[in-house]
Amino acid sequence: MSLIELKDVYKIYNEGQENQVNALDGVTLTINSGEFVAIIGTSGSGKSTMMNILGCLDISTRGEYLLDGNPVSQKSERELSELRSRRISFIIQGYNLIPSLKVWENVALPMTYQHIPLAERKERALAALEEVEISSKAENKPSQLSGGQQQRVAIARAMATRSPILMADEPTGALDSKTGAQVLSLMRQLNAKGTTVILITHDNGIAAQADRTIRVMDGHIVHDSLWDGILVPAEAAAGVKGA
Amino acid sequence: MNSLRMALDSITEKKGRSFLTMLGIIIGVTAVLVLVAMVTGYNSDMTAYYEKMGVNKVTVQVSWYDATRASNVMGQLYEYGNNDLSDWVEGVTPDLSTSLPLQYGGTTIDSSTVYFGSDQFSTCYNYTLESGRDIVTQDIENRSLVCVLGSYLADSLFQYSDPVGKTVTIGGYPFLVVGTYYQKDGGVEDSMDDAVVIPYSANREILLSDQINNIILKVKTSNDMDTVINKLTSYLNETIDTAVGEYSLEDGNSAMTESNDEMTSLSVVLGGIASIALLVGGIGIMNIMLVTVTERTREIGIKKSIGAPRGEIIGQFLLEAAILSAMGGLIGIALGYLLSAILGKVMYDLILFPNTLVTAGAFAFSVAIGMIFGIYPALKASNLQPVDALRAD
Repeated sequence: MSLIELKDVYKIYNEGQENQVNALDGVTLTINSGEFVAIIGTSGSGKSTMMNILGCLDISTRGEYLLDGNPVSQKSERELSELRSRRISFIIQGYNLIPSLKVWENVALPMTYQHIPLAERKERALAALEEVEISSKAENKPSQLSGGQQQRVAIARAMATRSPILMADEPTGALDSKTGAQVLSLMRQLNAKGTTVILITHDNGIAAQADRTIRVMDGHIVHDSLWDGILVPAEAAAGVKGA
Repeated sequence: MNSLRMALDSITEKKGRSFLTMLGIIIGVTAVLVLVAMVTGYNSDMTAYYEKMGVNKVTVQVSWYDATRASNVMGQLYEYGNNDLSDWVEGVTPDLSTSLPLQYGGTTIDSSTVYFGSDQFSTCYNYTLESGRDIVTQDIENRSLVCVLGSYLADSLFQYSDPVGKTVTIGGYPFLVVGTYYQKDGGVEDSMDDAVVIPYSANREILLSDQINNIILKVKTSNDMDTVINKLTSYLNETIDTAVGEYSLEDGNSAMTESNDEMTSLSVVLGGIASIALLVGGIGIMNIMLVTVTERTREIGIKKSIGAPRGEIIGQFLLEAAILSAMGGLIGIALGYLLSAILGKVMYDLILFPNTLVTAGAFAFSVAIGMIFGIYPALKASNLQPVDALRAD
């Protein structure tokens, strides 16, 4: 069973009107557990829409999305937030943290929604901060951290939450290349421990660091690195990752 | 715990704005408390006045078409009140007074109230004997020139020496002081302590008349007022020949009751007007909360993306609105108490504090208003699509 399966998914804005936009125009995609995937495209290509759908932030207009084999499209808002809370972590471009909460509290916040007791929340948060080498700032407010440090805190949040999927939308967008590389390397580490990482970017260089790149244009997948080499598109669509 | 801290942080982060937001609630609560306290103060002032005057009094007023055929209605009512109505009536005295100078030795008091009283005068007018004796029936029968002094007169004419046994001049006649009354109205000039009572039969000398046409009956309790008025009506119907004169009865409590009723409705109206300030304050809170939601769109997006349920977002904004209005309410209460105390001292010379119930009510109302007007912004925040919220800068 694949972790993520999109079957002929459409996301259509202003349907039936003159300014109709098919942000996703019949996308079929399979991502397996443990992959490190980059979705690459220019702005307006539909990559952000794809992240929103994959991240359960939005639902598709048509088509089927199976997460762990469960259909997402018909879920209520409550069920979606439950899904996000337990299955998916996000790192987005720019600031990711709640300004009024301390760093460790930010890391622990998703666990609050999972009703994990305070002591365990704090312990897991501090451990995650240790891993991203930022535990000295645990009691600080996010505004006292640099952009790169803030992104590391966001990664720590994903680690502490232990969600199986990390969605990162231009996580290095606002960072210099050195800090960006550090953030990417942390995501690598996370992936090595089994987290499925989906990286959304417009930057070919960053995308190149992923195991698999999926290029999106005008709401279609125009290239999937799985298709190169051994696999034929039909097999790729079926989600079979060969050797 | 997080929500509470986030709400407090958000409020303290923008202190000036939070204060201005609260201002409407502060003014509203203060106004409600002070207005109600002032009305209460006025009321107790009036009640105190009526109580000093003596409550539960029925006044009979008779006017004669032909004075030569007038009957001794004072004597008749005294008898009737003290015999037939003795279950309900505790005193009967003329409702007759004049203003005259009093003199003792070298001291003259220009104008004091001189009451023409029966032996039941002090009961009817709420005076208590301090020294000597009160007016008695013999004084009236003998037309004795005796008097009982109010405390102000006793003090100022006799400089705190015992006046009993001394003779004062009232309206040119020498009156023997037989007793004094306790102070009951501050003991100052023009108060009810600036008064003297003489036997009503002395009006022949003083006012050159033996007619007493206004009579007060002091009723034991306010519940007996109607009984007494009914009995008096039938009695007077029989006694007073309509060809000779007519009478009217006045319920002395009705003025007090009316004034109380007026004040109660006044306080409702004033409280209502002040509540409008509370309402406007609530709208202010809603306004600022809407701004806050816009400002924190991204924060809401982050929270939603990491799995915050709708209720969490609603709760956070409702809590913030409630805290804002509760703080406003508390400041308003503090101001209300302060202002009430100051105004009460200045206006009524009373230590006046707002009614506890009104205070609790105003506080609860202000919090409720904050919550109600916080609902819309909170729902707006919770309805934000995480996608749109995250896109915001």
